Amino acid sequence: MTRSTRIRSAGIAAVAAVTLAACGGGSSGGSSSSAAGSSGPVEGGDLTIARAADIISMDKTTTFDNNSIYVMEQIMEPLFTVSADGTKVEPWLATDYAMSDDKLTYTIKLRDGVTFSTGAPMTAKDVKFSIDEDTKTGADGWGFINTAIDSVEATDDSTVTVKLKYPWAPLLADLSLFSNGVIPADYGGKTAEEFYQAPVGTGPFIWNEWKKGQYVKIDKNPDYWGEKGPYLDSVTWTVVPDANTRKLQVQGGQVDIDEFPDWSSFSSLKDSPGITATAFPSTRIDYVAFNEQKTPFSDVHVRRAIAYALDRESMVKSVLYGNGSAADSLLSPGTPYYAKNPDAPNLDVDKAKAELAQSSAAGGFSTSITINAGDPNQASVAQIMQSELKELGITLEIKTLDPTALKQARNSGDFNMIISGWTMDIPDPDEWTSFAVDPEGGSHSAYTYYDNPEVIALNKQAQAETDDAKRADLYQQLQEKTASDAWAAYLYYSPYAYATTDKVQGFHVTPLGNYHLEDVYKTQ
Amino acid sequence: MTTAVATAARAMRRPARSRSLRPWYRNGTLVAGLVIVGLLLLAAVLAPLLTPFDPIEQDLQNALQSPSGSHWLGTDKYGRDVLTRLLYGARVDLRIGFLAVLIPFVVGSVLGALAGYFGGWFDVVVMRIVDVFFAFPFYVLVIVLVFVLGAGESSIYLAIAAVSWVSYAKIMRGELLVAKKQDYVVAARLGGMSHGRVLIRHITPNVLSQALIYAMSDIVMDIMAIVTLGYLGLGIAPPTAEWGSMILDGQEFITTQFLQATIPGLAVVVTSLGLSLLGDGLSDLLSPERRK
Amino acid sequence: MLDRLRFVPARLLQSVPVVFGVTVVVFFMVHLLPGNPALTILGQTATPDRVAALNTQLGLDKPLVDQYFIFLGRLFRGSLGDSLTYQRPVLELVLQAIPITLSLLVFALVLSLVISVPLAALAATAPGRGRDLAVRVFTLLGQGMPQFWVGIMLILLLGVKLRLFPVGGYGMTFGEHPYYLFLPALTLAIAMSPTTIRSLRASTINVLGSDYVGTARSKGAAGVSLFRGHVLRNAAIPTVSIIGVNLGYLVGGSLVIEKVFAIPGLGSLMINAIFTRDFPTIQAVALFVALFVIVVGILTDVVYTLIDPRVDLSSKERA
Repeated sequence: MTRSTRIRSAGIAAVAAVTLAACGGGSSGGSSSSAAGSSGPVEGGDLTIARAADIISMDKTTTFDNNSIYVMEQIMEPLFTVSADGTKVEPWLATDYAMSDDKLTYTIKLRDGVTFSTGAPMTAKDVKFSIDEDTKTGADGWGFINTAIDSVEATDDSTVTVKLKYPWAPLLADLSLFSNGVIPADYGGKTAEEFYQAPVGTGPFIWNEWKKGQYVKIDKNPDYWGEKGPYLDSVTWTVVPDANTRKLQVQGGQVDIDEFPDWSSFSSLKDSPGITATAFPSTRIDYVAFNEQKTPFSDVHVRRAIAYALDRESMVKSVLYGNGSAADSLLSPGTPYYAKNPDAPNLDVDKAKAELAQSSAAGGFSTSITINAGDPNQASVAQIMQSELKELGITLEIKTLDPTALKQARNSGDFNMIISGWTMDIPDPDEWTSFAVDPEGGSHSAYTYYDNPEVIALNKQAQAETDDAKRADLYQQLQEKTASDAWAAYLYYSPYAYATTDKVQGFHVTPLGNYHLEDVYKTQ
Repeated sequence: MTTAVATAARAMRRPARSRSLRPWYRNGTLVAGLVIVGLLLLAAVLAPLLTPFDPIEQDLQNALQSPSGSHWLGTDKYGRDVLTRLLYGARVDLRIGFLAVLIPFVVGSVLGALAGYFGGWFDVVVMRIVDVFFAFPFYVLVIVLVFVLGAGESSIYLAIAAVSWVSYAKIMRGELLVAKKQDYVVAARLGGMSHGRVLIRHITPNVLSQALIYAMSDIVMDIMAIVTLGYLGLGIAPPTAEWGSMILDGQEFITTQFLQATIPGLAVVVTSLGLSLLGDGLSDLLSPERRK
Repeated sequence: MLDRLRFVPARLLQSVPVVFGVTVVVFFMVHLLPGNPALTILGQTATPDRVAALNTQLGLDKPLVDQYFIFLGRLFRGSLGDSLTYQRPVLELVLQAIPITLSLLVFALVLSLVISVPLAALAATAPGRGRDLAVRVFTLLGQGMPQFWVGIMLILLLGVKLRLFPVGGYGMTFGEHPYYLFLPALTLAIAMSPTTIRSLRASTINVLGSDYVGTARSKGAAGVSLFRGHVLRNAAIPTVSIIGVNLGYLVGGSLVIEKVFAIPGLGSLMINAIFTRDFPTIQAVALFVALFVIVVGILTDVVYTLIDPRVDLSSKERA
């Protein structure tokens, strides 16, 4: 079981990489452990990844920062994991599960022979403790993801029983979240704070050191339960805020991987000898959010007019340098239940003018878009929008705020339009749809103040529906309805950009953004 | 930073040995400064006549072109003519640079003069506040203030004013401490003239020249600050052409189109060169006898 | 000798209200920043309710004045509090960053002297002639270049085109640090040398015209040995104060330069803290920087007093 699961995901990874290389016109990257050809995986070597920002914390239950999450996932592992293509949940520390007929009880079998890096075996008690600690954080952490869970019991050493308050389709996806990663019960006798200074898990790597603002380093776990890997002796993430500097570093071989080069760097990295630049499909959706509390955005015709006025293809070309695709749904193609929607508003200036003509602001109007001061993509989108909306008689002023001030303005509804994005944390659309269209999600429908009872009802039904086909149908209706309401003006789906030196093999990123470094090795 | 420039201004005045008898137009430094600054101002004012292109209108089909006959310095990532944006950028940077000096010049000079002239508790209070502001490096304070106030032109004026008045206060206070002991001032007071009249009629004309000379180097610093803020993304909002944000945008293409980041920087260098020469020349003209 | 240092205690005493003023200004200024750390900590799931809950937990919902006194009280007990983003003592973060920034500053200072002394000597020994003019143009240009731009140009030239130096970062090992710090230190040195050169040139001209140099010359001293033995020492005196002032100025410059070169020093810590609204960290860095500027100011005057027998700061009138 272990073997087959892992080999299957590797296969998918290879396929994904090949497809990508074919349409990206670039490199051969992301090749999986077995696909490297000549000699196969090489033991040893140190991997250095340059990224824009430091990690914040290793506390898996209260950390929302991706930089930290990608690191902790190498140390602490969940019961289930997302497949390489991001659409399925696969067993990881669990081997199997059974659902009761009333859909309220899940019995989960744990993998045998898994030990923590301290040498202690992983038992059901540890699993119960780990999930309970996450649930406890409630609104202060990732606890909300476990809202449907009533209780977790250790039935015997290798069996865990999860009871639900109500039928909840996304449960396994929720359990695959890093926040439900398994750690020793009672933090191995430490306080939570002490424990997360040097976290311990079952993962392929163990904690070494964190120099704040400089780097974080993890070392190989020589006793890892997996049959393959880890191959690398250590992995270090260095903090290099400037995208240009990161690009130059990977070109000069100072680092092995450039995490998220900006798109202009990416296109020049693609042409660099010795560099493999790969755009991994993601679950990211970028969109323009309207503040529906404000006139004229409460008017659906105004929103549609703007949605029709945007030339997404040219944005993909000039903002993403051709890496990515025009968006047609609030879900991204990497998300389960995504349904292609040919009827979603796309560039059509005549339709845009017609929509505006029948709106409350028929003669055009003046408004503003607030963007993140340091984000070149947002600056580009806003400037392109400015010239496109001019044709409709809409005068767009661009305001800039630093990231935190922008979030403050967004949370307090102090904006007309903003550019926003979302990436999934779990392989299930619910986390995002509940946030985006249900005012009860806590964010006034992702700060748009969009409130359509029909859409809210669809979302609620989909949460409880465990039949796959029926669920797909519900989500399709939801996607169509939100698009025709112009809930937001979708912009594009952008992939995750990574540039690696050609020495790096087996590096693959799932649509959720996580990567399994136990598969990675360095040649030469 | 402000003190450094003040010191520099003093240092640069030192070698200026008495050449005061020459008419101003024989002062090479002053003339060179006037010519450079004059040409820059002219280029800024006449920008729309000097170029057929619009600084904001995008032409995505012609993005990132190398220099050519029609685009002498090439185009940026939105297909806008770099030379055009450079000229229009001069409008923004020079305007803000010159205007930003006014408030601190007036406020700082007045407070410093009063502190120096009257002394006592007022002097103590003002100078302790000056010390507090001096304890922060210029950029730290300007950057934090712009964060607090939000990006944009008015924030830049306010932030610069809040920070750079202290230099004028320090300079004017020093001048006043010397001036108030001069014979003509003592005589005027003994002659029954009021404090106000003494300050305005007799002292100000004599001491203002130092503040004025400093103002030239202060404009340079303000332009540096504006450009730096633009580079940090906290300056004037896009799509307005501004040299700092042009450098920021150009930095993306440093390996392929290095002119994009280089040219706006050179514009800053030429501008500060002109202003520095002007300041040197002015100091030769206004206070040739000063040694320190 | 020590008698002439009696201004030191007075200066230290004077800096107490200044430091207090700094804490007030910094505290209230950073709390005026729009937004709060919870927005950053919670990422894309930062709903208003959860932001409010976290703010309560972090003690950010109390009135500002109360928060200030909590901060002040902690300060008196010698604690700077915990970083809101890292949840670790701020002191730990600051102490990690200080050596990096300090070595950058010292490196820059040394480089700036390496640039300034020969250039000033070249200029001062031929005032008004070609090489004096050339040095003057250099100083004018050096003063007119935005520091971050100089950094970018150096990266372009020495990092990208010639591949002589790394383009950013601090290096991992002790041996790597100087190599990584060279370009940023050079950038700061270029920004710092014009004022040093001008001061050194002017005072060298003064010294060269003075009697004792004439005497030394008549005794047969000439060239480099004359310059090193007699001129430089005396000419350096006024320059010391300029260098002191410059150090304070460099701290500000290093803030931006650390960003350009991705150096994890105080500047980067400060900028990140501003972006994430990590109030205690901003306060701590600002406090340390202010203390640094004040201490350097006093030290400069001490050195000045010690090397120049004529100076007596206790009777100084001009501030």
